[in-house]
Amino acid sequence: MTTLSGSLLLTFRELWAMRLTQAMLVIASLAWLLLSFALNMDVVEGSLAAVRIFGFDTTPTDGVFNEDTGEWMSQALSLDKFMIGINTFVFGAAYFLGTLLGLFATMPLINGFLEYGRIDLLLSKPLSRPRLLAGHLVGVWLTVLVLSSYLVGGVWLSLSFKTGVWMPMFLMAIPIITVMFAVMYAVILSFSIITRSSGLGLVITYGLIFFSIVLASHNQIVPVLSNTNAAIFMAFYHVLPNFIEVVGVQAQLVEGTVVTSWYPFISSLLFGFVTYGIGFFWFSRRDF
Amino acid sequence: MPILVSVNPANGISVPSRVSSPVIDIADLYKTYASGLRRRKVHALRGVDLQVSRGEALGILGPNGAGKTTLLKVLLGIVHPTSGSARLFGQPAGDPKARRRLGYLPENHRFPTYLTARQTLDVYGRLSDLSDEARRERIPRLLGDVGLASWEDTRVGKFSKGMMQRLGLAQALLSQPEVVILDEPTDGVDPVGRRDIRDRLRALKQTGTTVVINSHLLSEIELVCDRVLIMHKGRIIRSGTVDELARQGSGWRVEVDRLVPLFEPERWSASLEETGRAIVVEDGLPETLNALIDHLREEQVQIMGIERHRASLEAGFIDLITSQEDAS
Repeated sequence: MTTLSGSLLLTFRELWAMRLTQAMLVIASLAWLLLSFALNMDVVEGSLAAVRIFGFDTTPTDGVFNEDTGEWMSQALSLDKFMIGINTFVFGAAYFLGTLLGLFATMPLINGFLEYGRIDLLLSKPLSRPRLLAGHLVGVWLTVLVLSSYLVGGVWLSLSFKTGVWMPMFLMAIPIITVMFAVMYAVILSFSIITRSSGLGLVITYGLIFFSIVLASHNQIVPVLSNTNAAIFMAFYHVLPNFIEVVGVQAQLVEGTVVTSWYPFISSLLFGFVTYGIGFFWFSRRDF
Repeated sequence: MPILVSVNPANGISVPSRVSSPVIDIADLYKTYASGLRRRKVHALRGVDLQVSRGEALGILGPNGAGKTTLLKVLLGIVHPTSGSARLFGQPAGDPKARRRLGYLPENHRFPTYLTARQTLDVYGRLSDLSDEARRERIPRLLGDVGLASWEDTRVGKFSKGMMQRLGLAQALLSQPEVVILDEPTDGVDPVGRRDIRDRLRALKQTGTTVVINSHLLSEIELVCDRVLIMHKGRIIRSGTVDELARQGSGWRVEVDRLVPLFEPERWSASLEETGRAIVVEDGLPETLNALIDHLREEQVQIMGIERHRASLEAGFIDLITSQEDAS
């Protein structure tokens, strides 16, 4: 247990020493401080009568034509819709920016971990290779969990107290962000172990994220492809992580509607398991 | 203590070792790396046999690429052998249990630069499965022992190469290991620091700790080790005590007041020292020495002194490697 704590401590300290981790904490703090103090809402009978940011009125002023009465009415926002909008925005920002920046930030971490002179010292300690790698991974995952909990939890508390509308499903963003980060981290880590180039690992990981934008449009793309090409495309869809489509899962959770398909999340999770398996196998076998 | 001589059938090299159960036991060890896109094979180790007894101080010498570091890495489980066996405390090298009783200082080790000296030892102490109590007790003591007590709260990133080596040594000794493996321990350390490290290693030896040192500094090996291995192209080409290896090429040193005119060194298998006041007879045969003395006396040369010439370990090492290079 002490050996694992050493491995965790090393990862935590390394992550903390990185300015980007500290910057993410500051950004998260600013986000929920902004929502707590700079955003003011007037709620009248469950509707949002006015929204002010830093004291400036941002309530839509355009009228809405009511066809039933034949009159122009002032536009009142649904508080629920406003909350969904804010929550989705925060989730999107945390999910995309957090993951892209987080992966970028971990590149030197992996470099440091696998660097000659460092890795041989770690491997000379009385812990097995899988345990050493697991300690590193758990350290990274926990850090991401803490950061996403801090941001999402802070925003959720701040908005909920302010509006009185509690949307607990927004908190699902925490495990989703953490798990999807872990899935993408599997790629950068495993490629770095195999090729000893974390730069290449990062490029491939980003490539998969951007390719998942194409995969997310499979309903539009597949019908225009030949049978063979469609089969190849769908093979990619099933095998590779569906990073983009997972956004839809979270959106449905926040809206309170039934999630139509958990498949993008589950297939991404399976991809992560297999990739970590390859990474662990290679880490156990290779010479350093 | 009885001596065991094991002979590698592949190369006929005998490797003496004390009989007590070896803490390190390597048999017919091969390691071949495949590198590049064409998987070019590099034979780093070719049939290495070695036993190291408890309390022994072993020095490993060899030119770059001889396989010294690979040998140590196989022992530590950092590199997997291609064939053969390597055992530590009777357990296969690479078994984490065996590493519990071992301390290691790698060549060009890198500690995280953002940690202080104390934090570094704390983290590596945890990784060595040391209890809180043991870490609390040992870390300040070891930092004091290696001369870093006043630097304990300084970030490692600000350390000089020599300070890093001292910290590395403290890290290797943190778990009070039975075997310490040091790869270039005094690399970048100033002469005073080198002496301190040597003293520390000698003290370790006296406590019964087995010390294995891989170093380019032959004088260091000479001063610390009981036994020396010389490796070349993945093989152990010579093994013995420092005296045995240094004696290779021993002869006589004859000090004179002047050199005779037309002295022909090759006639006597001799060489002249740079001072021009001493003749070194390489072959060590008494007949040659006597004939030389007769010749010098005939030429009215005053003989100021005669002593047994002992080639240094370095000279023995260079001769051996050169002869191996010539042979191949």
